[in-house]
Amino acid sequence: MTDQAMSDQAMSDRAVDRGMTAAAGERGRFRLGRLNVEVRREAGAAWRAFLTAASVALGLGLSAAILVAAGVPAANLVDELLVQTLFDGQNLHAVLFQAAPLMLLGLAAAMAFRVRFWNLGLEGQMIFGGIGATAVSLAGVGPESLRLPMMGLAAIVFGMAWTSVPLLLKLKVGVNEIISTLLLNYVAMNLLFHLLYGAWKDPRDGFPHSPAFAPFETLPTIAFDLSAALVVALAAVAFCVYLLARSRAAIYMRFVEASPSAARALGVPVAGVTIFAVLLSGALASLAGFVIVSGQEGRLTQSFFHGYGVSGVLIAFLARSNPLAAAIVATLMATLYVAGQNLQVFYAIPGAMVQLIQALVVICVAASDFLVRHRVRWVR
Amino acid sequence: MTGPALSLRGVEKSFDGFAALKDASFAVDAGEVHALLGENGAGKSTLMNVACGLYAPDAGEVLVGGAPVRLSGPRQAAELGIGMVHQHFKLVRPFSIVDNVVLQGRGAGRRARYGASVEAAAEAIRAQGAALGFSIDPHARVDTLSVAEQQRVEIVRALVAGARILILDEPTAVLAVSDAERLLETLRELAARGTAIVLITHKLADVRRFADRVTVMRGGRTVATVDPAKTETAELTRLTVGDAPLSTVGRTSRVGRRRFEAIDLTCLRRDGAPAVDGASFHVRAGEIYGLAGVSGNGQSELAEALMGLRRVDRGAIQFEDAGQSVEAASPSRLRAYGAAFIPADRYSYALAGGLSVADNYAIGRVRRGDYGPVGWTRRGTIRSDAAAAVEAFDVQGVRSLDQKAALLSGGNAQKLVIAREFGGEPTIVVAQSPSRGLDVRASAAVHGRLAEARDRGAAVLLVSEDLDEVTALADRIGVMSGGKLVAEFEAPFDRQAIGRAMVDHSAPAHDAATAP
Repeated sequence: MTDQAMSDQAMSDRAVDRGMTAAAGERGRFRLGRLNVEVRREAGAAWRAFLTAASVALGLGLSAAILVAAGVPAANLVDELLVQTLFDGQNLHAVLFQAAPLMLLGLAAAMAFRVRFWNLGLEGQMIFGGIGATAVSLAGVGPESLRLPMMGLAAIVFGMAWTSVPLLLKLKVGVNEIISTLLLNYVAMNLLFHLLYGAWKDPRDGFPHSPAFAPFETLPTIAFDLSAALVVALAAVAFCVYLLARSRAAIYMRFVEASPSAARALGVPVAGVTIFAVLLSGALASLAGFVIVSGQEGRLTQSFFHGYGVSGVLIAFLARSNPLAAAIVATLMATLYVAGQNLQVFYAIPGAMVQLIQALVVICVAASDFLVRHRVRWVR
Repeated sequence: MTGPALSLRGVEKSFDGFAALKDASFAVDAGEVHALLGENGAGKSTLMNVACGLYAPDAGEVLVGGAPVRLSGPRQAAELGIGMVHQHFKLVRPFSIVDNVVLQGRGAGRRARYGASVEAAAEAIRAQGAALGFSIDPHARVDTLSVAEQQRVEIVRALVAGARILILDEPTAVLAVSDAERLLETLRELAARGTAIVLITHKLADVRRFADRVTVMRGGRTVATVDPAKTETAELTRLTVGDAPLSTVGRTSRVGRRRFEAIDLTCLRRDGAPAVDGASFHVRAGEIYGLAGVSGNGQSELAEALMGLRRVDRGAIQFEDAGQSVEAASPSRLRAYGAAFIPADRYSYALAGGLSVADNYAIGRVRRGDYGPVGWTRRGTIRSDAAAAVEAFDVQGVRSLDQKAALLSGGNAQKLVIAREFGGEPTIVVAQSPSRGLDVRASAAVHGRLAEARDRGAAVLLVSEDLDEVTALADRIGVMSGGKLVAEFEAPFDRQAIGRAMVDHSAPAHDAATAP
């Protein structure tokens, strides 16, 4: 043995001795113990559901504490956040009005995430949906009775065409879609400004928005004074639920998500499945753009898409890319928006507080993942 | 210090209600090589993960040098001189060797300043390497090293951290025969210098030749501790697998037409050198064609090309049923011709570990439309078929069809792959090292299935580095060397001649005329 090896041996002797005495000393005395973290091999569905619920509750609890600190009387908190928002007719209407595009965007993000395509270009796809719908309106394509479906169809076609750019870049030359989708949002936005400040400027008031849509070009309200946007969104939810439960695409998408290399070797048409899911994602996002333009704004505006991209991604994340869960989370998110608006009016709480609450809930749920994957034990 | 270097007493451990260890006890003395023998899923790795602090036991105690200890994690285990070399190496691949050693933050490499740590660790790595007879460049990046070299790095790292008890989990499973011999000799040498060595394995031959004592595990329990030199192989086998008999493979050949054929097949490595160099052979219906060779002579590349996982740069693969050559065919096209694949790397190419057993079974037949049209999948039928296949192919450890496939032990995961691949009665089977890492009983089951497929009239190609496996199963054998197919043999085989063909041509071949 070399001298160096000898001294290593001596050093490790000392290390062992130190560990031994520490262990021996600890046995006699009172001690709190230590945390031992193990990798959990498989977490049950019940445990996962409980963790998600508990972390949402924790996030809301922290938010409540912050709201109280900001001056909302603790006694009014539940009343303001839930009762007033959900049991007041006008507010409930506002919640459902908000929920429709959020559902579509949550689904859009979820579908892309299911095939490992991190679509951060939801806003750009919304913009193209809005541009497509408006183009049909301005050109006066088709009879009046068919105008609205034509606008919706054009929105989808434009949105899918826009989405195919980062999709093909990824499939053909391996461009990272996180970067390309994100940056293409700015390209779409500048194209929108180019149109609104130029060719599509409203000739009546000279403002940078398109001329108002005719009544037959706006989404009608249906029973109970609800917008048809909600019907479109719920139909999309039902389609996605069916798709992921019963279609052959469901098992293909699961394999592409879980292991692209195994999927390819097992004969799953990986490229085809990816193209299908990502174009579906783009179609859903552009449909969201369409329902906002046609159902809420009544014309193409400069900022109709603002902030929806992040919300869509957050909804898909909180819903773990499950379409039914996305619909529920989108409704909760809409509740939060409306409650936030009320808080703003009555207690002068800044609008950023809504984003803070959103962020707290998301951080709590994200952190709970650790407990899904690991088991923490107390070693006494 | 008194007592054994490391001992575990009455250890119990369960995962979500499944008892992986039941009253397991084990002790290793300084200066001995103590083998831990057992089938896949017997609890060997779990027991040693308790010893190295990765798992906290539900009951039982761990003693180091006779003193009870409570391990809060691998870091504390390392402080007590316990080091483990896992089956899947725990190295940061883009880092240099020395950075991997500094990263563990203990032992000879530890200094206050990073620069000083690197120097000290590099010195310690060289010293330990020299003592073991390895030449190691401490500044080489881990991902440039071969598997055998990475394993040496793991061992050296543990020794630099001051390990006096070294646990190795299936260290020879990933190594070629010569590297495995060398490793086992190194371990003997370490033991001779006073290190306690625990060798987790299921290879009886290694145990008999290199271990001083052997503890046998079965079903989460430690069954016996014996001296391998004084114990019959049959007795060790009986302890390992229980009293169940092992099936043997009979040979009934009714050879038919050529089912598939490789013609002048060439695949290039990334650096442009040929990995497979103009290989030509054919496999007929009702025979098993074995491809043998020393590891790294192009067999795995050839198998990958035949499975559609690797690009064919020249030549062609011909399938009888296709009626045409299928260069650069995708796996889905090859499967459409009735081919079934058992790749060596299960979790990259055969199973999605994160998905359920039912999904992993169903994917093959969903593609063929057995479970309804594109728009409607019959989930109930999938579940009942999957349950039946799990039963028929004896896949054990399936507690629920929704259980992740990654939780199956190696042998049972392989059985699940075979259950799926053989479900459609394939006419062509390509199997690559199908029993690597499997225990005796699971290997026998896999071999039985291959022979069954052959007897049914399938053309089976068996690519394996294990000459025993090839000679036991195959009807004809092709030997690969340096990317070329250098010789073909017909049963009955002359092992000496096959061995010579494997080795003689290991040097760059210049006698292309010997190709059949």
